Amino acid sequence: MTRDLVIGMAGSGGDGIVSAGESLIAACASEGYHAIMTKSFGSQIRGGESSCRVRLAIDPVLNPGGALDVAVALNWDDFLKFGAELPVAGTTVVIYDANTGVAPDALPLVGVAPHEVFAVPIEEMARRSAKTDKAKNTIVLGLLAGWFGIGRAAILAGMRKKFAKKSAELVAANERAFQAGVEFAEAHPLATPRTMEKTTRRGARLLTDGNDMCAAAAVFAGCDFFSGYPITPSTEVMQFFTRETWKYGGVALQCEDEIAGVGAALGASFAGKKAMTATSGPGMALKTEILSLASIAELPLVVLNVQRGGPSTGIPTKSEQADLFQAVFSSHGDVVRPVLAPTTVADTFTTTVEAFNVAEQYQTPVVILSDQEIAQRKEIVDPIDTSQVRVVERRRPRADELEHYARFRMTDGGVSPISHPGMPGGTYLAAGIEHNEHGDPTASGLVHARMNEKRIRKLDPLRTRADLFHVEGDDAAPLALVSWGSSAGVCREALQLARADGLRVKLLVPYLLFPVAEEIYARFFHSVQAGLVVEQSHLGQLYRVLRMFLDVPSGVQSFCRSGANPFQPAEVAAALRDAARALHRRTGDARHQPQE
Amino acid sequence: MSTATIPVPPPTLTPKDFKSDLKPIWCPGCGDFGVLQAVYRALSAIGRPPHEIAFVSGIGCSSRIPGYTTAYGFNSVHGRALPIAQGIKLANPDLLVLVAGGDGDGFSIGGGHVPHAIRRNIDLTYLVMDNQIYGLTKGQLSPTSAKGTKTVTSSLGSLENPVNPLLYVLSYGAPFVAQGTPADLPGLAAVVEEAIRYPGFAFVNVQSPCVTYGEEHQQIKAQKQRLTPLASVGHDPSDMLQALTLAQAYGTMLYTGVLYRNPDPPPTFGALVRERQQALAAGAVPRERILDLFVQR
Repeated sequence: MTRDLVIGMAGSGGDGIVSAGESLIAACASEGYHAIMTKSFGSQIRGGESSCRVRLAIDPVLNPGGALDVAVALNWDDFLKFGAELPVAGTTVVIYDANTGVAPDALPLVGVAPHEVFAVPIEEMARRSAKTDKAKNTIVLGLLAGWFGIGRAAILAGMRKKFAKKSAELVAANERAFQAGVEFAEAHPLATPRTMEKTTRRGARLLTDGNDMCAAAAVFAGCDFFSGYPITPSTEVMQFFTRETWKYGGVALQCEDEIAGVGAALGASFAGKKAMTATSGPGMALKTEILSLASIAELPLVVLNVQRGGPSTGIPTKSEQADLFQAVFSSHGDVVRPVLAPTTVADTFTTTVEAFNVAEQYQTPVVILSDQEIAQRKEIVDPIDTSQVRVVERRRPRADELEHYARFRMTDGGVSPISHPGMPGGTYLAAGIEHNEHGDPTASGLVHARMNEKRIRKLDPLRTRADLFHVEGDDAAPLALVSWGSSAGVCREALQLARADGLRVKLLVPYLLFPVAEEIYARFFHSVQAGLVVEQSHLGQLYRVLRMFLDVPSGVQSFCRSGANPFQPAEVAAALRDAARALHRRTGDARHQPQE
Repeated sequence: MSTATIPVPPPTLTPKDFKSDLKPIWCPGCGDFGVLQAVYRALSAIGRPPHEIAFVSGIGCSSRIPGYTTAYGFNSVHGRALPIAQGIKLANPDLLVLVAGGDGDGFSIGGGHVPHAIRRNIDLTYLVMDNQIYGLTKGQLSPTSAKGTKTVTSSLGSLENPVNPLLYVLSYGAPFVAQGTPADLPGLAAVVEEAIRYPGFAFVNVQSPCVTYGEEHQQIKAQKQRLTPLASVGHDPSDMLQALTLAQAYGTMLYTGVLYRNPDPPPTFGALVRERQQALAAGAVPRERILDLFVQR
């Protein structure tokens, strides 16, 4: 029985490949599997080639997986355009449309002989069963259900629901096409059966992507104001707000540019509302000046940056983790700007709520550094008990504090009670210009130094927030993995592989990237002699930020590369083995030797 | 005899109630002092208490103005007063939101925001203190400087035409457009008050001279000689075409008063938002159950 299956499909724009992927992952949700679906398109706005990958498993799925177990090509030209995104290996079952005229022993795949190959008359079957080649994707679903035992009833139920709105004939035609696919698979069994193990997990599951999850989490946290400017790959957040926020008395504003997008959100925050904006790297660059304003005016604000390939326009549709320097260092002046990063669609919920909590509690802009992969992949998420998720409100002045109100009053923690327009007794001047405790403008170096100290000191408690770090593995392990964002999901799987190899290794995943929590890292690194900081950027930005703030053990190296080339768990595990061997050579300690 | 029905009159506010303790940094004789006085007078006539007012500005001499009032102020960054003000007004529609800045703030670095504030028709009052010069940075060319103006950054005379603020906002459809000058303080206070009372985006261009870097003919004394109240030329403020014609005289004639007032105020963005919020409120999933939106059964 199979416990983990990676399916990749490609076709032309009209083939409904992505729609098939969506039907498949929806069926996986109701059948109790865990799954992730990623989509990829050609650069055409409409039409052109499209592909999707679905990884389903009995255990939680932490990343989209590596080589395909099943490859479906409706035509080879389109399939091959996705190259490394749909890697075929010696273990892959290849299914393709016989109408491509390609012989099963002459597939246009270089240097790889797939495990099994099926030339299926997909288009012909669609015409015969459903009287239209639009049903090709339904034939594919039937084939997958037949060969891999993935939720026949669930796929059929989903299809009925989807087409019922259109016509009964369409439902019947698709049922016939699905059945034709199933029958073909039954008539041509796999030489090596790969039927998915059944799960006993039933009940409601969530199915969504990172952007929708982020927007929903913001609404949960009480965010009633969104303003921004459309930019790939974050626009879905704005789309969610423009549909939903009105119901809560909120406002969504599509602005004239990125600067207005963050400006309006900051204005809303000044007016007392929880507010956010969303963008990607180029937009983040434009928002920088107002983020600095938010820091000096001590106003809460949440900014989502869904990272894509950069610099400049870069690769807008592919993931990268190269905006950490920008998030951390793009302010002029002395600023500490908290940065949080989710690692999955599921934890995008808590990470986003926490971003609002930090923003409101410490009166500061907070950057959520998501990335294209998390933001746009669909994931089956187990229900989240929202009653366990705390929501923090900003500290308003009490009546006695309003008597001689000083908006920026020096306090022990550095956080001053904050009023807002409409509140009697609380009037003050918010300003980008340096100001004293009352908000009055000043050019005094002394006041400036004290205010800088206050604004930075107030964030110190964040650096002891162990709950914003995920640690896994043996506390005394000499080997370490550190990773963030979507790469963390790869490393969690790599950790399992490395431990199965007998390596003594542990993993640290920071959700809080900045300020750097020195003591938490120091505690983690106490036993560490070698390891990898894994991230998708050419410069290895987290590795360099960590070295700036703490003594990273010399054996811990950066394992990084530019975006649009996601890591695979096996390659991280292999790199870890190399690190272990090097450590063995260096120390002569046989315990570091991986099992061969 | 009923004793409970006599309403308590609201406390009357005087211009002094809007004056803060901060001493303006402006040069003696700066036109902005007059603008500040006009704002005090207009706000006291309106009668909203200072804490219900948000006064937003950008950067420049004139953008210091919120700090000299007792309202909530936001002295933001260069050119971004309008987006911030729109966020404030949409977040809390009950506030009276004033926006102020200079000609550089409004028509150079922040010029791109003006058309969008106008087309949204958010209920704001935007005062531009137009002195045709960059005063805070000590006398550089501004977007409204006349062609040929010699400044430290145009020592041989500027080569470009000025922006015409009146024509700019009229042509984007601003429903209320006026011009004033501290040379006629009662007139200025009156147009500011009328702009605030107008339900929608209201623009007031104030010819507020720079006493340090401005030219002689721009100063208050000279302005008093040449200002022409629009009422005196028989202008009908509801006549858009006439307003467009008169606006073209910017830079040659100094017209004061209301240039255009849409007699049939279109709905504001805020009103449309409220309508939408009310229509959709019943469909809200409780916040703590927001994830139900993603449930797959």
